[in-house]
Amino acid sequence: MTNKQSKDPFEVAFESPPDSPISPDENEAQAPAVAITSDGQEDDDVNPNFLPANPSTSTAPLISTGVTAAAGKTKEEEEEEEEENMDVELSKVPSSGDPDKMAKMQAILAQFTEEQMSRYESFRRSGFQKSNMKRLLVSITGSQKISVPMTIVVSGIAKIFVGELVETARVVMTERNDLGPIRPCHVREAYRRLKLEGKVPKRSVSRLFR
Amino acid sequence: MNTSSAGTTSKPRVGSSQPSDTTFKRKRGVFQKDLQHMMYGFGDDRNPLPETVALVEDIVVEYVTDMVHKAQEFASKRGKLLTEDFLYLIRKDHPKLNRCTELLSMNEELKQARKAFEVDEEKLASLD
Repeated sequence: MTNKQSKDPFEVAFESPPDSPISPDENEAQAPAVAITSDGQEDDDVNPNFLPANPSTSTAPLISTGVTAAAGKTKEEEEEEEEENMDVELSKVPSSGDPDKMAKMQAILAQFTEEQMSRYESFRRSGFQKSNMKRLLVSITGSQKISVPMTIVVSGIAKIFVGELVETARVVMTERNDLGPIRPCHVREAYRRLKLEGKVPKRSVSRLFR
Repeated sequence: MNTSSAGTTSKPRVGSSQPSDTTFKRKRGVFQKDLQHMMYGFGDDRNPLPETVALVEDIVVEYVTDMVHKAQEFASKRGKLLTEDFLYLIRKDHPKLNRCTELLSMNEELKQARKAFEVDEEKLASLD
């Protein structure tokens, strides 16, 4: 379905899967400042509650219609994510700037079914919690000095990695003609394949004390 | 390659003597909620199986750990671990690299915007 790295029309619009929220703190502060700079995204839909820092989307404004409609959903993640990310989303509008891409995205999005739209929204909104990621990084490095950009980068990389895993797992499922939710065996096979492709860093020292 | 063990997992400490408030043990399900939404976004069911989510979480943590260790290897020459080290690691992986540069530049933009906003606010405050 949602494909980040294939010849889909999606590829045209984004280069890579979404990733976690970039900016933390203030938001409302941001919204006005950034909204002003938005280049002619007339879309009233520049809904601040939009999606977290996800793929380069020129479609931010357009999507927000879908999003606001979906606001009544049960996804509580929205609360935290949107706070953190709405400014990011807005800022993305001016920077992506390519009217062509934007137009294409809008065309694609307009044709989404509800299910597709909901999935796309999850794709855009989801991300790793900065605090959790930071905690993890601190525990791995043993040092307290983890900068915010580093958390952002690692979260982004991790999200794309999850995408690769899930997509490969789906491919495995189709090969086996399996249906339903993804099962651990599919994920393991997917992981094995990714390793073969060299997308997973190899450990030079084996993991002893799991 | 069985990653799922019961309850908590102890991670070997690498040369740090910090009484970590964070983790000696890695709690399960730290990323569970985020992962569920993420997996749905990427193509899984609306409600992914819990065991699948747990497995993916393990894999991701292992992936991040390995990445960080590798980055630290590069960084050890310089001393500090920098963002550039991660970027160097993924240099061959174009989607990731592009995404990261995009995120970083957006972050910069936001910082600028924030600064500008603060300056304005001061002006307004001083006017009162």
